[in-house]
Amino acid sequence: MSDAVLSVEGIHTFIGRHHVLQGLSFKAEPDAVTVLIGRNGAGKSTALKTIIGLHSPSEGKIIFKGQETHRMKPYRVARMGIGFVPEDLGIFSELTVEENMRVAMFREDEAAENRLEVIFDIFADLKKFWKGKAGNLSGGQKQMLAIARAMVNDTTLLLIDEPTKGLAPILVESLIEVITEIKKHSVIILVEQNVEDEDLKSKYLGISNS
Amino acid sequence: MSDPTPASIFRELERRKRFLSGGFWIKIGLLTLFLLAPFLFPSFKSVDLMIKIIIFATLVASFDILLGYTGIISFGHGMFFGIGAYCLGFFLSKYGSPSYLNIILAFSAAIVVSFLLALFISFLSLRIKAIFFAMITLALAEFSLILAMKLSRFTGGEDGISISLPGIFTVSTDFGRILGLDITGRIVTYYFILLICLGLFLMMLRFTRSPLGRVLQAIRDNVQRAEALGYSTFIYQIISITFGCIVASVVGGLYALWVRYINPESCLSTVIVLDVLIMVIIGGMGTLYGSFIGAAFLQMAQTFLPDLQKFAKTLFPHADLLHNAMERWLLIFGILFILIVFFFPRGVMGTIQEITARRKAGRAS
Repeated sequence: MSDAVLSVEGIHTFIGRHHVLQGLSFKAEPDAVTVLIGRNGAGKSTALKTIIGLHSPSEGKIIFKGQETHRMKPYRVARMGIGFVPEDLGIFSELTVEENMRVAMFREDEAAENRLEVIFDIFADLKKFWKGKAGNLSGGQKQMLAIARAMVNDTTLLLIDEPTKGLAPILVESLIEVITEIKKHSVIILVEQNVEDEDLKSKYLGISNS
Repeated sequence: MSDPTPASIFRELERRKRFLSGGFWIKIGLLTLFLLAPFLFPSFKSVDLMIKIIIFATLVASFDILLGYTGIISFGHGMFFGIGAYCLGFFLSKYGSPSYLNIILAFSAAIVVSFLLALFISFLSLRIKAIFFAMITLALAEFSLILAMKLSRFTGGEDGISISLPGIFTVSTDFGRILGLDITGRIVTYYFILLICLGLFLMMLRFTRSPLGRVLQAIRDNVQRAEALGYSTFIYQIISITFGCIVASVVGGLYALWVRYINPESCLSTVIVLDVLIMVIIGGMGTLYGSFIGAAFLQMAQTFLPDLQKFAKTLFPHADLLHNAMERWLLIFGILFILIVFFFPRGVMGTIQEITARRKAGRAS
């Protein structure tokens, strides 16, 4: 078994007075997509937000690439190489598709431009609406933009929250293909209820706070 | 040299198309109008109106950087405007003498004071939540107004400060006639202010169109998301606030340079920020160019609407009801404002930009 890129050890997270994560522990390894599954309100999204630093855990440790990140600000965690696609996609609707992509780039260098070309190959629609406002995209296109934005940097770990939610079955299939492609160079943690794809070679982890 | 990428090809095409767009020529036309205004409309009232449009458009643009581009509402923008005006008053009249060096020192002092104050307010309020920035700036704006009124020995109180200007800026200076226009100190001041405002506006344009401006807009749209993308939103918000406030203070100094008299009511009152807010709403938030539309609308309304009664009396000498209605010009202004908000929900420029973007998207799909 290969070494874990991310290790979550006994995390407790409160949102207001609610004790949402109660000692969550797991490891994300490069050889499989880690899928967090659980009923609504179980804390799947909270787990991802805690990893990226949007929620501070009251107890426990998060270790990414050998460094403790649970006390870090979200922007520091992101700069270490963690990409995050939230459930609401977090598209900047007033910005154009291009601006959405560029704002996500840590550096506008040649490597980023090359990655952009790969993204154009995968998501042809993004090229078509490059100068259009992101807010005018359809639901599926927004989903693609959100994932493309996470791919534009050389991320080690990608956190994706319910990527197939509300998508037509045909789009779900192409999304799984995309995730399979991303898996070649990034470790993925997914929050999902519907992914049962052999190609992903997923490791399913049940999550519950009851 | 590396091969062009699809993104760079797009950028090059956009650059070429820029000179063919109607918007580009409207901007050139506007600039020409402001440059030729003293020759085309030589009366003081017209020149005064034009320069106030320029001054307030720049002030509105600086406010738009905070509100339209970063999503932060500041009620203290008038206070920063006043800081600039008072710095000029202090250095050139109250505690100094009219000299070019003192003009430079006054603007430098305004920049330093507004930078430190904006930094202090940001650290005090933004750590908690952006809305506290609005509350604290409102409190400080009121406090500064009271301070300027009560510390009359230091600030001149409600009597204000009359400002004397050096050399080429004095009204009596005469540089002869060009194209039938007497080039006095007033005209020199007009072009000086126009030049500085143009520089400030171009700086703001560059600021908002830079990668930094893009991050600010991302913060405005979704703070948490911008943070998760790797940006320290706190630092970026501080940069935006200090930049906007510094520009406001410089504009305040320019205003004092033009009107040559300052008092708490005209430079520190919260009415200034309310006027600026109206101008931003009319022009369109997050458009920058909209500031010219907003400023032109409000300044023209304030200049010409009070004269409506005179026109009504000349045209319809026996229509008493009409005369009474025209006397209440603020009511007419209110109706015009409501109509603009109704027909241009995103401001005039914002709505135009939205329609253009929708048409472009329609053509692309």
